[in-house]
Amino acid sequence: MLKIIIPTIMLMPLTWLSKKNMIWINTTTYSLLISLISLSLLNQPSNNSLNFSLMFFSDPLSAPLLVLTTWLLPLMLMASQHHLSKEPLIRKKLYITMLTMLQTLLIMTFTATELISFYILFEATLVPTLIIITRWGNQTERLNAGLYFLFYTLMGSLPLLVALISIQNLTGSLNFLLIQYWNQALPDSWSNIFLWLACMMAFMVKMPLYGLHLWLPKAHVEAPIAGSMVLAAILLKLGGYGMLRITTMLNPQTSFMAYPFLMLSLWGMIMTSSICLRQTDLKSLIAYSSVSHMALVIVAVLIQTPWSYMGATALMIAHGLTSSMLFCLANSNYERTHSRTMILARGLQTLLPLMAAWWLLASLTNLALPPSINLIGELFVVMSSFSWSNITIILMGTNITITALYSLYMLITTQRGKYTHHINSIKPSFTRENALMALHMTPLLLLSLNPKIILGFTY
Amino acid sequence: MNPLIFTTILMTVLLGTMIVMMSSHWLMIWIGFEMNLLAIIPILMKKYNPRTMEASTKYFLTQATASMLLMMAIIINLMHSGQWTITKVFNPTASIIMTSALAMKLGLTPFHFWVPEVTQGISLTSGLILLTWQKLAPMSILYQISPSINLNILLTMAVLSILVGGWGGLNQTQLRKIMAYSSIAHMGWMTAVLVYSPTLTMLNMLIYIMMTLTMFMLFIQSSSTTTLSLSHTWNKTPLTTTLILITLLSMGGLPPLSGFMPKWMIIQELTKNSSIILPTLMAIMALLNLYFYMRLTYSTSLTMFPSTNNMKMKWQFETKQITLLPPLIVMSSLLLPLTPMLSILD
Repeated sequence: MLKIIIPTIMLMPLTWLSKKNMIWINTTTYSLLISLISLSLLNQPSNNSLNFSLMFFSDPLSAPLLVLTTWLLPLMLMASQHHLSKEPLIRKKLYITMLTMLQTLLIMTFTATELISFYILFEATLVPTLIIITRWGNQTERLNAGLYFLFYTLMGSLPLLVALISIQNLTGSLNFLLIQYWNQALPDSWSNIFLWLACMMAFMVKMPLYGLHLWLPKAHVEAPIAGSMVLAAILLKLGGYGMLRITTMLNPQTSFMAYPFLMLSLWGMIMTSSICLRQTDLKSLIAYSSVSHMALVIVAVLIQTPWSYMGATALMIAHGLTSSMLFCLANSNYERTHSRTMILARGLQTLLPLMAAWWLLASLTNLALPPSINLIGELFVVMSSFSWSNITIILMGTNITITALYSLYMLITTQRGKYTHHINSIKPSFTRENALMALHMTPLLLLSLNPKIILGFTY
Repeated sequence: MNPLIFTTILMTVLLGTMIVMMSSHWLMIWIGFEMNLLAIIPILMKKYNPRTMEASTKYFLTQATASMLLMMAIIINLMHSGQWTITKVFNPTASIIMTSALAMKLGLTPFHFWVPEVTQGISLTSGLILLTWQKLAPMSILYQISPSINLNILLTMAVLSILVGGWGGLNQTQLRKIMAYSSIAHMGWMTAVLVYSPTLTMLNMLIYIMMTLTMFMLFIQSSSTTTLSLSHTWNKTPLTTTLILITLLSMGGLPPLSGFMPKWMIIQELTKNSSIILPTLMAIMALLNLYFYMRLTYSTSLTMFPSTNNMKMKWQFETKQITLLPPLIVMSSLLLPLTPMLSILD
């Protein structure tokens, strides 16, 4: 694992020592090379996890997330080039350093063996993200957004720290590889109910669960493009990853403790999808769509069946790529019109047809069109929740319909129809932007040929 | 002040604390406290104006009362144990009186009222000495009598201090008062774990002193005493803004900075002793502290506060060279990976 971590750390001296005309080239190239190294992790032995050392391991759940993380850094760098072009050199280097620091911490989080180490790194990812949102965001609301982001996550995760330490006292070790073998049922008591809550709330806030999702629209909308990308693609998945790891220790309380959260997620996914239909702000629409997709993941994780775990993992990877691509597309609009209002830039298909193709593909994958991996994820989740309780099919079906509705609404509003007359002088699409979209879409489409690598450890 | 006299007085302050920390006779400890108190009054009053006079008077009165209470506890202890050696205190009444006296000296709730007002009335350097060096002597006595301290009183004072330190700092814009409330909250964390593991109290003291030293030195470098003047640092020394950000986040206890280490260790120690609600409550109340640190970082490093044109001329003056600042900054932010080395403190 050091073969990925140390090159990522060394990206920081690379940025600070590069010449002015080479920073983007250097960092993007080397981060792409690092992502190629991480691809080798996808070759997982079937029965156990790859154990690299006392501190790092990678198993079929964390390997795809790790590959997604390393794949995303060059994409973030490519997306940020335009809005940073007018900043002084030191600030560009600071921005890239923040992204690299965040990347290192994320890689270490996904491969951490010990749960306390996972916790420390999970919290540590907050600091660079906070700095990116509040320092480089564009509107005054970014200050409030950063505070909401920081305090919602910290309020949820401090009980997690206490819970992890008390589990360590009870069982002797928090090494994940050991715990999966000597797991025993938690005795039924009030304090174990609070233990369950303490363990899960941190990840619920991070996912986010419907009632605790208030930080997400603020943070996603106010962040600059790289911030939005990393938030949507990876940081939400930290919550899902944490839940998948920690539910192994929390049986049998999960069977009854999960009900309130299941209800909130099932209702919440419909609520947030419906809100998407009424959004005027493009980034806000994509942010609420993220909440809706993540609610599906929460449902899948709480049901705890092999198929639902496969669906959750596939959905996390698929949503990461799709959401990040949608944010890049929204940003390409924003850079031209400097406004996030959807109806200001309509009919873009006549002006930028290639970008319209990317918009089409992104919207189609967002609404889970077969045979994309989004469909595989959603289908598995729908099927397993149907087997858990037949009535959920009504809610799931409604959600899929409304998801299709708002994805097509977004596509048609921005791309089709007569173009608004004030945008006929926008710049054509840059090759960099087209490359960005292609790099998002290609893994997504290729994975539909071999989805078993993203189906997680219950495959 | 005449440098020779200033050196003598400063040495007396140091000597007083040393006497407290190294004595085995209760009377010598009281003498050390008095020496410390008398010698620090001129240091607090380096500038001669009514504000510092008021602050020094308040400090003198509270500390003298605390020393008298300490003396009474020593005498009661003498009555019941017949000897002057400092070990654990042999009588519950004496223990309670001594704990209250030391809490008054440290600034724990409900004896915290003097801390913000005294810190605000004196200069930044004197405030630095007040909030760091002056805490060493009472803490060392608490360490030595820790087996006999009444747990209920100590934990109540600790939790209330964390609450007061958090809530009191919320409405402040003056940097010295913010540091005073931060000191009250950190003292609360330190005394909460005193009975369970005094080593962790010392660890927390060490890291708290490092972080407070760093913060004060960063303030001294930009000669800023209000949030507004701190917000001009982006103009004068842009690097300082990053350093203020890192140190404030460390004081708030965010991983992966070193301010997280004492909180983590204290939560671990308290959980091992089967108190679960207490550390959860303490950790959540520390978020109040983090809020006003974040507000400081917002005005300093994460936004560019608007400033008038004369503010932009400040770069023409020489920047102060503070030699101790770089190692302090490194230590107050990067020590977390060294946590396994804590075994050397035992």
